[in-house]
Amino acid sequence: MVLRRLALSAGARPNRLGRGWISGAAGVVLAGGIAAGALLGTGPAPTAYAATDAAPVEPATGGGPLSFRRLSESQYKRSIEDIFGATIKVPGRFDPPVREGGLLAIGESKVAVSASGFEQYELRAREISAQVLAEDRRKTSLSCAPRAPTSFDKPCATTFLGHYGRLLFRRPLSAQEMATAIGLAGEATVKSQNFYKGLEIGLARLLASPNFIFRVERSERDPAGGQRLDAYSLATRISFLLWNAAPDAELLDAAASGALRQPGGVERQVDRLIASPRFTQGVRAFFADMFAYDQFDGLSKDQAIYPKFTSQMAKDAQEQALRTTVEHLVTNKGDYRELFTTRNTFINRNLGSLYKVPVDEAAGLDGWVPYTFGPQDGRSGILTLAGFLMLDPTHEGRSSPTIRGKAVRELLLCQPVPLPPPNVDFSAVQNTADQVHKTARDRLMVHQQNPVCAGCHAITDPIGLAMENFDAVGDFRTHENGALIDASGTFEGKAYKDVISLQTLLRDSASTSNCAVQRAYEYGVGRPLTNGEQPWLEFAAMGFAEDRYQFPALMRRIATSKAFQAVGADRIASRE
Amino acid sequence: MADLTRRRALKGMLAGSAVTVGLPLLDYFLDGNGEAMAAGAPIPTRFGTWFWGCGINQARWIPDKIGTDYDLKAELVPIGPYKDKVTVLSGFNCILGGRPNLPHWSGVMATFAGAAPLRGGMGSGSTDYPTIDTLVADSIGANSRFRSLEIACTGNPGVSYSMRAGATVNPSEVDPVNLYKRIFGPEFKDPNAAEFKPDPAIMLRQSVLSSIKDDRDALMKTVGASDRARVDQYFTSLRQMEQQLGQMLEKPAPAEACLVAKEPGKPELGPTWEIAVKNHDLLADLAVMALACNQTRVFNIALSNAASNLRRSDSPIAFHELTHEEPIDEKVGYQPKSTFFMEKSMETFATLLKKMDAVKEGNGTLLDHSLVLATSESNYAKIHTIDSLPIMVAGKAGGKWKSGQHLVGKGDPSSRVGLTIQQVLGLSVDSWGSGAMQTSRPISEVIA
Repeated sequence: MVLRRLALSAGARPNRLGRGWISGAAGVVLAGGIAAGALLGTGPAPTAYAATDAAPVEPATGGGPLSFRRLSESQYKRSIEDIFGATIKVPGRFDPPVREGGLLAIGESKVAVSASGFEQYELRAREISAQVLAEDRRKTSLSCAPRAPTSFDKPCATTFLGHYGRLLFRRPLSAQEMATAIGLAGEATVKSQNFYKGLEIGLARLLASPNFIFRVERSERDPAGGQRLDAYSLATRISFLLWNAAPDAELLDAAASGALRQPGGVERQVDRLIASPRFTQGVRAFFADMFAYDQFDGLSKDQAIYPKFTSQMAKDAQEQALRTTVEHLVTNKGDYRELFTTRNTFINRNLGSLYKVPVDEAAGLDGWVPYTFGPQDGRSGILTLAGFLMLDPTHEGRSSPTIRGKAVRELLLCQPVPLPPPNVDFSAVQNTADQVHKTARDRLMVHQQNPVCAGCHAITDPIGLAMENFDAVGDFRTHENGALIDASGTFEGKAYKDVISLQTLLRDSASTSNCAVQRAYEYGVGRPLTNGEQPWLEFAAMGFAEDRYQFPALMRRIATSKAFQAVGADRIASRE
Repeated sequence: MADLTRRRALKGMLAGSAVTVGLPLLDYFLDGNGEAMAAGAPIPTRFGTWFWGCGINQARWIPDKIGTDYDLKAELVPIGPYKDKVTVLSGFNCILGGRPNLPHWSGVMATFAGAAPLRGGMGSGSTDYPTIDTLVADSIGANSRFRSLEIACTGNPGVSYSMRAGATVNPSEVDPVNLYKRIFGPEFKDPNAAEFKPDPAIMLRQSVLSSIKDDRDALMKTVGASDRARVDQYFTSLRQMEQQLGQMLEKPAPAEACLVAKEPGKPELGPTWEIAVKNHDLLADLAVMALACNQTRVFNIALSNAASNLRRSDSPIAFHELTHEEPIDEKVGYQPKSTFFMEKSMETFATLLKKMDAVKEGNGTLLDHSLVLATSESNYAKIHTIDSLPIMVAGKAGGKWKSGQHLVGKGDPSSRVGLTIQQVLGLSVDSWGSGAMQTSRPISEVIA
């Protein structure tokens, strides 16, 4: 019961209200003051829920809309690899991803295909299809052979397009879809006098279809009342949540046979997926999204100031943080909250130079070795890893406590920070060469003299200033411009002296664990939490505590929940 | 009759290959799209946007004199050689009408989409209305190989201010090599080549696209109401591709100024001023040649994002940060480091004008046959002001736009500029914009 209380104390409130702070852009200026009060723990004392002894029952939710989600670049590439093999080259540029509500996974539910984006999908479809049907690959790609290579063999074409169509569309082709694809392949065979060319055209058609490029969800009546995802859509949600990949043949079979809908059917599949080595790639994909690692693309730092920074180091920093996270959460079944305090990580020689840690030559340049930070390193927890510290695409020449603090608030605590207000004169904020304001703390103090700025900067800056002992690439420092750096502050009303003690407070804050629950759920359903789902979030947060904050258990809880597959009655497409 | 003859000739040629002419091909050859491009026909009018981030110092940019022969302040000096082909517009505002002032975003969409947006900031966000380039492209670009080309100079393809409604940008080409390959790669048909042979593979590609359209009805019934627009967008993009392929089956009309560009060498990409300007020159050369070769009629170039992350290679602080943090030099009355970028942005714009004006077409130049809308998201970025947004329109639209004036909006919405451009380019529209940005008053002084 203690755990249960913990999960729902203090931080649960800001989290519940999180999205209410800043509704759209209205009242941005006002929101600063209000949010500051709530976040700094000066608001009304939060009430803890009375714990009951009855086994908790999953609260019903209103359900969400059916989603229509574009495959991300990595999901597209993985689908091609899973279906056709790793040697198929996937050419072309992908439209940039969009972050919404803290996740690219939500952005994928909002994006459309631009004209130049479509050009690229068409190109990919042709080139992938040509590789699959290339002479040296045909035998492996086809389970049948045509009667004659120059004429159309309908049964063989049906087998081929049916097999790949089901894997690409993540459901069997409808009779009409099959007829269309067969018709096209037949026509192209006649025109080219080449059965394989015909199949190539038919396959390209499936690859360029919105039914492959997007995850198209469908609903069905839930025997228990209301609407739910149909079996294939559920299989797809589960698979992308746990593997960041399309459902495999076994999962599609379970959807087809009805086994998925038998009692325990979902649990059996979910357990199989979690037990698979591919679960690691799913967890990795989730955290790459939650940590906003897309910002590593094109990240650069001023070479004159940070000669150690290279694009390889950026890659390694990202890899280190994800490795550390996955090892802790999946391999060791560790407590999610201890990501903020763990001393265990991995290191390679390239990062060793940044961390000033000797790495065994035997590890090789790309070789990773486990490493435990000692007291001399001044580091523990993910906020002290370069993968967090250098991730600021807006400042190339220095660290920004505001950006770092904003990242912690928004990405790790699910607490949106308002945008800076318009029509404010920033001239008081001086540059780094300024001899009067030597440290970032001095410079940011200026914001506090302006009440319009002070509200929001009070949310972000104290957290960011805790990380000032690390420069913009993550190198440790004690001084800036010759002045001693003061990394102390308060979080949720509790004092800390530096980033390590701040992370202890983060570990113990319910905001932290609740945010993980919220984000993982939103990532799975591809949309922000709705108001009707708040009780469910609280229920899941309690469950997370009961599971001792083990992340695989949280993923299992989400994937097997009713909420995950519930579809709101008013959200169904009308069938006019 | 010319079309019919050409169609017969093509049919004859195709009969000799392994491919017979399918119906979609016939459609393309019957719709008379080629007429405007035929030799002797009027030279087409083109439209472009050119965007730079973080505004101006208005005391050093806005001319004092109104009307023709306006004075050039320090920051506008670079456009001097083209002054009589550039219209400078001041006093046109982003009017919020109760909507939030989203820093480095509201001003972009006010001028480009005719509406203050509801969500966004720091150079990106969503829009409820399509940007002007897409409206113009739908009208004048539908029959060219590329409906429009989007280009950005800082290496990030997400930097683009061309959007249909929503949060998706039409992504930019950032790498000159990739842009070259897209325009002048194997699929390019030289309009001045003596021989033309349609590629049978193109027809197979058309048949693939035509077949995918069968998926539309079922999809529209499946997705939720809010996603139907996204399904529609997919099929709109698909139809654009079909038209693009259709163009590739027709013998292109000769284009006197078309010179096939050389493939640029592999460039360095990134947000330093030096690299961005180098890439701007390479990318702009390709865009200009794409216009001259009739590959597109619409382009969008973004020198940087709105909260400009450009920095000089020897300085750690980007333009955007400078605007907010650099002290004003009391002696000169402005921020010298920020002003470097403002002045250089105008120089870079002038290089585009130079390139366009160097292409001779008929009795004038490519610039004379174009309208280029250049703007930034702020007037004074330091405090995010969106009154009197800096706006220029370069070119004469083939004589339909009276250029070479400085005109003052006196606080009118900047959407008046967009409305005027649309009307001059022949779009059937008598009012444009939404909310407080809505207007039905074109700027009559420029309409010839």
